[in-house]
Amino acid sequence: MFDLIIKGGRVVDGSGRAGYAADVAIDGDAIVALGALGTNARTVVDAAGRVVAPGFIDPHTHFDVQVLWDGAARPAIEHGITSIVPGNCSLSLAPLKAADRRALVGMFQQIEELPPAAFTEAFEWSWERFGGYVDALKRNLAINVAPLVGHSVIRLWVMGADSQKRSARPDEIAAMQNLLRECLDAGAVGLSTSFVDVDENLRPVPSRFAYRAELDGLAKVLGEYGRMLQVVPEFYATDLTIARIDQLAELSLKYGIPTTFSPLFDSAATPDNVPRTMARVEEQFARGARVWPQVQTRPIDISFSFEHPSLYFARFPSWYRVMRLSRAERIAALEDAATIERMIGETGADGGRAFMGKLVVRGGEGAPDALAGRTLESIADERGEGVAQCLINVSLENDLRVPFLAANVGHQDASRVGPLLAHPLVHVGASDGGAHVTSFATYGDTGFLFSRYVRETHHLSLESAVKKITSDTAQIWGLPRRGLLQKGYAADVVVFDADRIARGAEHATFDMPGRGMRYVRDAIGVDTVVVNGAIAYRNGAYTQSRSGSICT
Amino acid sequence: MIAAVAIGAGHDGQADLIVTLRFDNGRTSHVTLDTDAGLRLMRNCKAKDISELVGHSWHGILEGMTCSI
Repeated sequence: MFDLIIKGGRVVDGSGRAGYAADVAIDGDAIVALGALGTNARTVVDAAGRVVAPGFIDPHTHFDVQVLWDGAARPAIEHGITSIVPGNCSLSLAPLKAADRRALVGMFQQIEELPPAAFTEAFEWSWERFGGYVDALKRNLAINVAPLVGHSVIRLWVMGADSQKRSARPDEIAAMQNLLRECLDAGAVGLSTSFVDVDENLRPVPSRFAYRAELDGLAKVLGEYGRMLQVVPEFYATDLTIARIDQLAELSLKYGIPTTFSPLFDSAATPDNVPRTMARVEEQFARGARVWPQVQTRPIDISFSFEHPSLYFARFPSWYRVMRLSRAERIAALEDAATIERMIGETGADGGRAFMGKLVVRGGEGAPDALAGRTLESIADERGEGVAQCLINVSLENDLRVPFLAANVGHQDASRVGPLLAHPLVHVGASDGGAHVTSFATYGDTGFLFSRYVRETHHLSLESAVKKITSDTAQIWGLPRRGLLQKGYAADVVVFDADRIARGAEHATFDMPGRGMRYVRDAIGVDTVVVNGAIAYRNGAYTQSRSGSICT
Repeated sequence: MIAAVAIGAGHDGQADLIVTLRFDNGRTSHVTLDTDAGLRLMRNCKAKDISELVGHSWHGILEGMTCSI
């Protein structure tokens, strides 16, 4: 008798081969058989009419903190994700001396936008070393975790406040190397670094003060373990990104390590960015280097409110001037008839309908529920106002806190993004799961891959899409026994409806510690998710399973 | 010098400034500035809107980026 049989589904095993009819049998935490297996099991999951695939792997997340109080990294599991990589962009929760926690929290909050209570109430911060963090994770995991260790915290440990002031001396580099070895021994899947990120005071994070010798020394240690180097390059400039690709390629070749960089995304405003970047990636792979560009599936939205200055209106002088005023002055200006007349006039003869009519009022703390999810033009029509006037009025009526969204304004052209995602050297990832929580939802990218690029545009077959987010990811990162539905592999399985799987609409929820708000997306078309042999999610509900592991 | 400026979608969900630079040799390139860097650039150039950035030196971008990105 098996522990679990997933019966009657179409197995898409992650290898890229065509799907086939088979049952999947699981004993303990492993897949033990595939084929026509009957029903002799303690639990049988009916998968008739469904796809049975390896659990999806999300290689770029910032769930470092959340996963301490929410071992399922909600809503990751319901989207079919069974393994996550936190610790990206040079930041991890260990190693970190107790005295440096405040500094790190500032950096994390800049990226993740978690409420302060997330760091003070939701978990007991009992560790300093990486092994202590891993032990804390293990107590509550429903999802598998392959944690990166952050270059910035390694630097902070060794150099203290000087980590954000200067380059490292040779003895300090040696100390960082030893500390990295300790982290890798404790379960780190690699090292992350950033050439871009800032702390809450807009100071560059520690990793940005490293000279080449320091990164070279750390890459040497990664080479001893064959582990990953993850990098945030200067993605705002193509030439600098290409220079980083070359630097990563040299480290990859010199030390035999995989490297990955993110983000890489398409924009109509910089149409040559992706082609030039990918051309250099191809050149470096041809030399034998491994420099994997991570590309997200979801389009990019722009969000803003009158609460904070935004460049969204910088094309209109009156709007830009008002945005830069103090809060009190801003409100006064928005109540001044002459100012309003100038502002509306700049948006065109249609009162702003063409430019901002499709803006959507987002949910959350600042918007009335009755407006959330609606377009500005529909609200304006209902109120009998012009669109620009309506935007101003709705903002004023709600203390300037109403968030607006310009949806799908970047990385949205399927004719460009589809072939990019299908490119054999593109690593599908960069979800940023668990980060930017009050700005936009970083969940559901896997569902979107299937709904948009498999079903709608056919840029990927179902099998190749599954491969991209399972076995490809496991191989790139060197995750043992993950990413394939094969005998002997870890029993991470997702059962989904290939005709329905998608991401739900973005909505606000208040499930952060201290009732903090975040934007999420629910899953559509995912029936069952199994993590290491235990059902973690089924028919719309999470179970109490805690079968997650450190999967490095 | 700055040859053109557009507003685009940033990785972090904010509006970014996408600046096209033209160099003395005639070649062009793009640089994307986030909210902090973009606002600083506009302040430094005393621009009333993004169109007034055109013609300014690219050194203004470096100054804008000092405390951001």
